[in-house]
Amino acid sequence: MRYLKLLLTFWHVSVAAETEYRSNFVMSALNSMVTLAGAIFTLSLFYQNGHQLGGWPWHDALIVVGLFTILDGFSQTFLTPNRTRVTELVRQGTLDFVLLKPVDTQFWLSFRALSLWGIPNILLGIGITIYAGMHCEPPLHWTAYVIGFIPVILGMILLYSIGFALGTLTIWFTKLFNITMAMQAMLEAGRFPISAYPNAYRVIFTFILPIAFMTTLPAQTMLGRVEWPWFAGSAIFAICSLAFSRWFWGYALRSYTSASS
Amino acid sequence: MPIIEAQQLSKSYRVADKQPGIGGTLRHLFRRQYRHIDAVREINLAIEPGEIVGFLGPNGAGKTTTLKMLTGLIHPSAGRATVAGFTPFDRKPAFLRQISLVMGNKQQLIWDLPAIDSLRMNAAVYNVTNHDFKQRIDKLATMLEITDKLNQPVRKLSLGERMKCELLVALLHHPRVLFLDEPTLGLDINAQNTVRQFIRTYTQEHQATVLLTSHYMADITALCERVVVIHKGGLLYDGLLDGIKQRFTPYREICVELEQPVEREQLATYGEIESIDGRRVTLLIEREKLTACTARLLDDLPVVDLSIADPPIEQVIGRLFEEGHTA
Amino acid sequence: MTPPPVYSTNSTATDQPVGQQLVTFLRRVRVFLAVYYALMIEYRGEILLWVFATALPLIMLGLWYQAASDSTFALSPDAMLRYFLAVFFVRQLVVVWVIHEFEWEIVSGRLTPYLLWPLDPAWRYVAAHLSEQLARVPFFLLVMGLVIWMFPEALHDTETGTWWSPKSWQLLLAIPAIYSAWLMRFLIQYTIALGAFWVERVQSFENLAMLPYLFLSGMAAPLDVFPPLAQKIAMWTPFPYMIYFPATLVTGRATNIVQGFAVITAWIVGLFLLNRFIWRRGVKNYSAMGA
Repeated sequence: MRYLKLLLTFWHVSVAAETEYRSNFVMSALNSMVTLAGAIFTLSLFYQNGHQLGGWPWHDALIVVGLFTILDGFSQTFLTPNRTRVTELVRQGTLDFVLLKPVDTQFWLSFRALSLWGIPNILLGIGITIYAGMHCEPPLHWTAYVIGFIPVILGMILLYSIGFALGTLTIWFTKLFNITMAMQAMLEAGRFPISAYPNAYRVIFTFILPIAFMTTLPAQTMLGRVEWPWFAGSAIFAICSLAFSRWFWGYALRSYTSASS
Repeated sequence: MPIIEAQQLSKSYRVADKQPGIGGTLRHLFRRQYRHIDAVREINLAIEPGEIVGFLGPNGAGKTTTLKMLTGLIHPSAGRATVAGFTPFDRKPAFLRQISLVMGNKQQLIWDLPAIDSLRMNAAVYNVTNHDFKQRIDKLATMLEITDKLNQPVRKLSLGERMKCELLVALLHHPRVLFLDEPTLGLDINAQNTVRQFIRTYTQEHQATVLLTSHYMADITALCERVVVIHKGGLLYDGLLDGIKQRFTPYREICVELEQPVEREQLATYGEIESIDGRRVTLLIEREKLTACTARLLDDLPVVDLSIADPPIEQVIGRLFEEGHTA
Repeated sequence: MTPPPVYSTNSTATDQPVGQQLVTFLRRVRVFLAVYYALMIEYRGEILLWVFATALPLIMLGLWYQAASDSTFALSPDAMLRYFLAVFFVRQLVVVWVIHEFEWEIVSGRLTPYLLWPLDPAWRYVAAHLSEQLARVPFFLLVMGLVIWMFPEALHDTETGTWWSPKSWQLLLAIPAIYSAWLMRFLIQYTIALGAFWVERVQSFENLAMLPYLFLSGMAAPLDVFPPLAQKIAMWTPFPYMIYFPATLVTGRATNIVQGFAVITAWIVGLFLLNRFIWRRGVKNYSAMGA
């Protein structure tokens, strides 16, 4: 309850701070639209001469694009602003102030900032997903969206955990402030169905950088083409990585506090 | 012929005000309200070559703004400035090579590299020959006692060492005019002394002219004969450091040690009581009444010891700023 | 860009013999590169991450190689591999980040001391970029080696047993093409960065302006597979000249070489003039605000 109140305060402050920059929202909306248009244009290039990307029909692949856009917006809104803050805190040595707060530090560092810039992406992503779902063969029933929502949430948890764990590395390597940017760039692979990649890539995107669980698997769930072991695997993967990020942060903190005395 | 000259030099800014809260933010977005601030008002100044002038004033008095106008970083909104025969704001390379600005709160050293790399870069920029470079580094670094620190990454240096390196970088091209803005900010006493000694030696050897701001009066008393005081952007005083006391404190300080404590009321009849510490009393007495008052004190009270002094300069300046005299 | 102004140490005269000026210029180049290279070596971990952060061409390589293997596209699978390897290579050399540096220097006030240098601050950024490229070389060569190891057919045709041979004259032309592409990209970003003299957060403007770069430069797909109209539109923007044009020179498939160089040169000249104009106005404004 206390944490919920804290969360609302954090977000209120973040939003208030953002209104200072009037052009930002328009810019990010434009940004999202052009990016989406570009992604759809690129996708369409694969559908020449009767080719189907990774064996996925056009509208099915479009669902993957839509889910990716939602995830991207989620990341922009909740994850990226906090990661940027953490690296700043570590670099400037002001992390100590956060450690002195009577609040769980991982909670503080994960939710302190919020940016409205990702909202256009979330809206556009939802729009594209629904549009693509209506034009699938056969069109999706509304329950498909509800069921599909579960793996999307799992994907978000996975994304958060990996990002936070990587961000934790900056405790030791203070100069690696672009580590999450590198991850973000690799995630771009999630714009397309995993089956469109060569085998070696598929292995990497399933087990090392689990992009498959973030967009392809939720899309397959919606389309009713998922095999249950994969679904369960996705849930286990998400929970384990969340637990790992928690443990890893605690470990990093112990080494931080013992080093900087 | 003065090397630094300012005539009616002024600078005013336009700032947008923002009220707190959402409403204030919205108003700020759509209809900004502006306010004019006169940071510097019609300052006249003439400094001869070789002078070290202290530039005093409380925070926000306009010291840094004036320094920035004299170095050409800021365009004055009115008035004229001439430094080393140039108009600063043209920022001609020939002008820039003759001056240097050191700011205690801003650095130009590259953070993750040893200071020697920044020095080499400045040598290339200011076209200091390799031979001169070695010689100057040798000499300046020895004076600053940082010869062994030049090869450590700047981020690993202490505040004092970093500031000394900044000074070294700033003086590498042997500027004729030096603008020092709080060069001893945050340094410990030892480092302060080294820096002061360094500035003194440098200016003597190179007949350099210095305009120095500092919050440490010790810097000013150690280096400057002449001071310029500004307050709220306007010139308050320009003259000898000693002259300030005469001009602004018609008081002297009498310190008396008594055989036994005396009532406060009784003491107050002689002059303003500065402090009472048991049998030790410090009084402020107007200069004209000094002789008479001393005689009365010696007559009336059981005096063990008596000394007369000027109040400390910090106190004088402090009063000056508080009262904001217009001279 | 004009060469940095040259002045002797203790005189106010600027009229030095040309030979002397050249010596000074070369010394500055040498010292700047040496210092910034040392700085970039300090950031090597960061630079390795940047190589990954710019790995989009390798992701697209996977997709297009697979697609070209399964169906018929304008390029064969091997040609796709070579094309995207070249794109990755070019991309590594045209990376520009001056806007981060510049915006930070404005906001933190660190630009101020450099304005007192008798040398345009732009030279520091140029030196930093070139040094960073140099520090990046081993990392991206390693990644390229890894990709070639994964897909040896990029260079070696196992069926005919022949090795791919580059067109050496085009490969030679690729060098000026890459560096003029870099300069064009640098000038675009630096010119937008100058906006920091007036407004905050100029990076979002740059992001927006460069969005089509991802899709139209040839990074996401070779322009050869674009529909004819899209291809025409793309060629009217500066983006293909930053990636596609140099990359096709590297792989030896370039056509319209003269036109390519002419377009890049025109952009560079125009951007340079605009940049200098805005720079002068910007410094004036910055000074008016209190430097």
